[in-house]
This record gives sequence, structure tokens and C-alpha cells, in this order.
Amino acid sequence: MDFIETEGKTVEDAIEKACQEFNLSEEMLDIDVISDGAPGLFGFMGTKKAKIKASIKKVEVEDKLELAKKSLERILVGLRTDATVDVKNDGNKILLNINGDGSGVLIGRRGRTLDAMQHIVDKIVNRSLKDRKRIIIDTERYRERRIESLENLALKLGEKVKKLGKPVYITPLNAHDRRIIHMTLQGDDQLATTSKGDGLLRRVVISTKKSRSFS
Amino acid sequence: MKDLVKYIAKSLVDSPDEVVVSEIEGERTSVIELRVAKEDLGKVIGKQGRTARAMRTILSAASTKINKRSVLEIIE
Repeated sequence: MDFIETEGKTVEDAIEKACQEFNLSEEMLDIDVISDGAPGLFGFMGTKKAKIKASIKKVEVEDKLELAKKSLERILVGLRTDATVDVKNDGNKILLNINGDGSGVLIGRRGRTLDAMQHIVDKIVNRSLKDRKRIIIDTERYRERRIESLENLALKLGEKVKKLGKPVYITPLNAHDRRIIHMTLQGDDQLATTSKGDGLLRRVVISTKKSRSFS
Repeated sequence: MKDLVKYIAKSLVDSPDEVVVSEIEGERTSVIELRVAKEDLGKVIGKQGRTARAMRTILSAASTKINKRSVLEIIE
């Protein structure tokens, strides 16, 4: 999808429609006004719709891709690894994959190192607040494997809760990991999940729907 | 080790010229001191210290490679 044309009562309306269509903010789009809208007489005679052409700004994105790759490579040099980086643009996300030596040093315990690098690169790339791109760093398909093991954990603990009839707490997880637990058990109408605690200690509680309504 | 911290800090702040990093090397542990412009302090620390924590995590990953420990101190 290179560009789209949208119509609205006013130019602003048309731009807003384009933003929704692309799911991007106005600053991220190049807008060409094809025709200004005319309100017409009493709002019904001779009304003319405003029409615009919108496309996604390109230049900035490539800069960000380059910056993301460069900064991750620089960090990897600092970590004394001979790893190479593949970079891919995926809508509002930048995916970086590290081809490393497979030692796991780059992943860290529960992905701590990977998450740390991801956070730093995110901060570097998104220093200017506009046109924010989410950064996802992966290596050896860790992210995929992590999701799988979290889903298994959720299902296993879900069964345990049903058997015991008592709520079960999962060890503290980051927001992304907690979300996976919630999503996995969402479809189970016997179970409810909530998050309790603050910051680093926030953890998911799995309980049965019945026991929750009493509390 | 020092270079890595310097690179990261300079990329995060608004005034990279004011980033100063010094390393006090010990036998097993080295202390890395990071100084930035007052206005940039929040940038290197981050919301709830998240950026500082991320830097420390990367630093400790780098240190394990050379069998050492590193401590990052952000000096106000």
C-alpha cells in the first residue's frame, strides 16, 4: 500500500481517516490535498467533500533502521562477540535479529540481557519522540521459545488452580511476559487472571472465577 | 568496558560533550563512574531506573566474558 485517498467533510476529517487507515499519527504521513471541502449552502446544497492523498513518510524510517542496527552492533562489539545483525522493518516495529555464537550470553537469565539491549536501542532510536518505532531484538528464536514456554506454564498452572481451587501466584514477570499469561488463559471460562504488586515485583495471579467473585 | 558505557551514554543524552566516564580498576571488580549534564540525568537513569538497570545488565554481560565484575555508578 503506497498511498491511499480519503474523503471527508473537511480536510482535517480526511486526514484523520487516513491516519486511522494507516494506524499512524499525522506527523508520520505525507499529505497531499486534492480538493478542499466546501460546506455548501445550509449544509446540503452544493456540498463538496475534501479529498486528500496520504502516504507514509519514508526517509525517517530508513534512518531509524540504520541507527538501530549500528547501535546494536556497537553494543555487541562492547560485549566482545562476533555477532552479525539482520534488521527488518515491520510497520511500527523494527525487528533486529542477532546471529551469534549460540552461547546464550546475549540472552541472559530469562532474556534479561536481550531485554536490556532492546531497551537501550529503543531509547537511542526513539530519542526524538515523534515517529516512535518499537524495537524488538531476538536471537536464536528466543522470543518464540519464550512465548511457548510461558504458554505451557500458564496452562499447567491453570490446571493446578482448577484442581486445588486456590489461587496460584507466578513469579514476577515483565509486562510482556505477563501479557502472554493473561492471553493464554483468557479463553478459559473457569479461570481468571489478574496482576498484583508493583514494578519489578508485579506478578500474575491465576484464580478460579468463583473464588474471585467472593473476594 | 569504559568505551561501551561511554557510547551508550553519549547516544542517549542531549549533550554528549558533557559525558565523562572514568574507570577505577580493581583486581576483580572495576567501578565505572558516569557523569552527565544535570539535564541529562533522567535520560541515563530512565523511568523507575529502567535505563540505568539495562546499562548495568549489559555491563555485567560484558564483564562475565572477561571473568570480572563491573559496577556502574551514576554520579550526580
